[in-house]
Amino acid sequence: MLLDDLLSRRLVVLTGKGGVGKSVVGASLALAARARGKRVLLVEVGAPLEAARLLGGPPSKGRVKEALPGLSTVNLDPATVMDEYVRHVVPVDLLARRVLSSPIYRRFFSAAPGLRELMILGKIMVLEEARARLSRRPAWDVIVVDAPATGHGLAFLKVPLVASRAIPVGPVGHNARRVLKLLRDPGRTGLVVVAVPEEMAVVEALEFQRLAADELEVEPAAAVLNACHERRFSDPEEAEVLRLTAEEARGSLEPGVALPAALRAARRQIRRRRLTRLYRGRLKRGLAAPLASLPFLFRETLEREDLELLAERLEAA
Amino acid sequence: MPPQRRPEATLERALRERHVLVVCGSGGVGKTTTAAALAQHAARGGRNVLVCTIDPSRRLATSLGLNRLSGKPRAIDLSGRRTKSPRGALWAMVLDVKSTFDALVERHTPDAAARKRILDNRFYRHVSAALAGSHEYMAMEKLLELSADPQWDLVVLDTPPTRHALDFLEAPDRLMDFLDTSVLRWFLKPYFAAGRLTLKVATRTGALAVRLADRILGLEFLQDLSEFFLAFEGMYDGFKERATRVHALLRDPASGFVLVAAPAPLALEEALYFHRRLTEKEMPFLAVVVNRVHPDPGRGAAATRGHRRARVPPALASKLVETFREQQTLARVERRAVARLEVDAKETPILVPEFEQDVHDLKGLALFAETILPAARAASNRVRAGAP
Repeated sequence: MLLDDLLSRRLVVLTGKGGVGKSVVGASLALAARARGKRVLLVEVGAPLEAARLLGGPPSKGRVKEALPGLSTVNLDPATVMDEYVRHVVPVDLLARRVLSSPIYRRFFSAAPGLRELMILGKIMVLEEARARLSRRPAWDVIVVDAPATGHGLAFLKVPLVASRAIPVGPVGHNARRVLKLLRDPGRTGLVVVAVPEEMAVVEALEFQRLAADELEVEPAAAVLNACHERRFSDPEEAEVLRLTAEEARGSLEPGVALPAALRAARRQIRRRRLTRLYRGRLKRGLAAPLASLPFLFRETLEREDLELLAERLEAA
Repeated sequence: MPPQRRPEATLERALRERHVLVVCGSGGVGKTTTAAALAQHAARGGRNVLVCTIDPSRRLATSLGLNRLSGKPRAIDLSGRRTKSPRGALWAMVLDVKSTFDALVERHTPDAAARKRILDNRFYRHVSAALAGSHEYMAMEKLLELSADPQWDLVVLDTPPTRHALDFLEAPDRLMDFLDTSVLRWFLKPYFAAGRLTLKVATRTGALAVRLADRILGLEFLQDLSEFFLAFEGMYDGFKERATRVHALLRDPASGFVLVAAPAPLALEEALYFHRRLTEKEMPFLAVVVNRVHPDPGRGAAATRGHRRARVPPALASKLVETFREQQTLARVERRAVARLEVDAKETPILVPEFEQDVHDLKGLALFAETILPAARAASNRVRAGAP
């Protein structure tokens, strides 16, 4: 089972091209882990606050908030994490506040390349290593991270590698090496590539796998093909749809649903279903990791029960 | 407010007349495809066009039906069986961050020794090429360089996803901030310029900042960093001048911004935000392109009232109804989201329907342009009519 292997690791990092539904897959994966009785933390990087919204929990800007029993969310904002780090390094409150309010600090922080990424990954490492005070058991069984989109996703994950080379000594260099070790440890971290059945997304997922192996020395642990159009019409039904189309059959199926319009919709569904099969095949052939497929959902808004449905699909994959 | 011109016509005209086109939007909305489609259209119309992607993943190559694009402009063969041979030329390239940065250093360093000092600096070597922020800095630099090259009538720039695209607009300022001598003098220079480790810094906060930096980054790294800054100091004026020119270029009436979005509510929200920022910054905005709009299967269908009931097996009929309803829902959600764009941004978007096939080759790009641009459609019809 895909989840058995994936969820044996504490840290699960989702990557993929923008618009492939990483947030939705992340929230579903978190629900699937929760259904297995695990204590789950869903981490978002940057602004969207999607996870909390999807799960119906409180927005969790900067703070870990429980969205459901056993499932918490947190939105990591680089500036907040950096401030927190400064407070940690400078234990004297007055001094820390002076640093934080200094314009130099602000400007340096906003401009120094890679510093934000490094801070976020460092924070994720701290979460991964967190232990309960008395029992010493890990604070989280599974941490699902919704990483930035692929092109930049690899840049994001590459920061510790670059930093460990650029900064050979000192705490930042040391921490960068620790983060890198965490990302490279298949016993602790699993990378999940998310794609949709479309040319660009599939090309990019395969390219991500190659670059991750070449540059990071990491293999994806799993892949998720989101928004799949699944088979609805049997072969004879598909033939019937084509026959009715060719005959220019008329009439209505029910009030407001004319047959020609419904046939048009059906042909579109069949076409997308075939494309899904094509791209799933390409992804399967190109990827070394196991692949799960999630259906395209036609909804006004996504509700938690929709995510639960996706979570079940992940569980069954 | 004057009545808005048809956005298709605005875009069409820009492709004939403007010199720089910046295509921006959030990830996964078909920005690269849109950039490539517009570029090939302008090339077919007789201009020498260069399309440049600064996205580190090589999507543009796929759009052009190629496996790889390099940091050097490469000619794309536009002639096809069914298309009229183009009057202009299309070139494509991917931004090479490292070599752009190196070239920038070469241009602004006073002598070989200074150049070597920077190019060999450990901080520079690792950070210049690999990290996310450098892409935006160098994209701006490259855009400036390309736009000054008389070989191109039009440069089409594809940009990274929205949040990064904003970085990209602000890249010149951020670069200035990072290299700003006053910051350096305050922060690092007094620390190392004397050649020894001293904490005698002008202000107490400055001393604290240095001590903090030492604690976080380590002395050796600080030394690399300060050498890097010291080496850059002589280049500051050159950089500043470039940044000013980038600002001017982006605001130039010969430049234009095309905002690309997807019809999903979240993607359109980001588009709205980006539109607001562009307007605030007085950038020459051209049009919003909304890609892959799902058609409403019920639209255009004859009224069903009075129709007799269709003769379809019940199992198939219920599947057909379900499929119809699903697509109707999707179309409704998208229509509402797009309507918000019209209300909030007062822009009539160009809607691009979802295509039968994914667009990933030149034929697809031509079809894309034909769909949204009236002149492209007319030209293509003429070719078809003339074909045997």
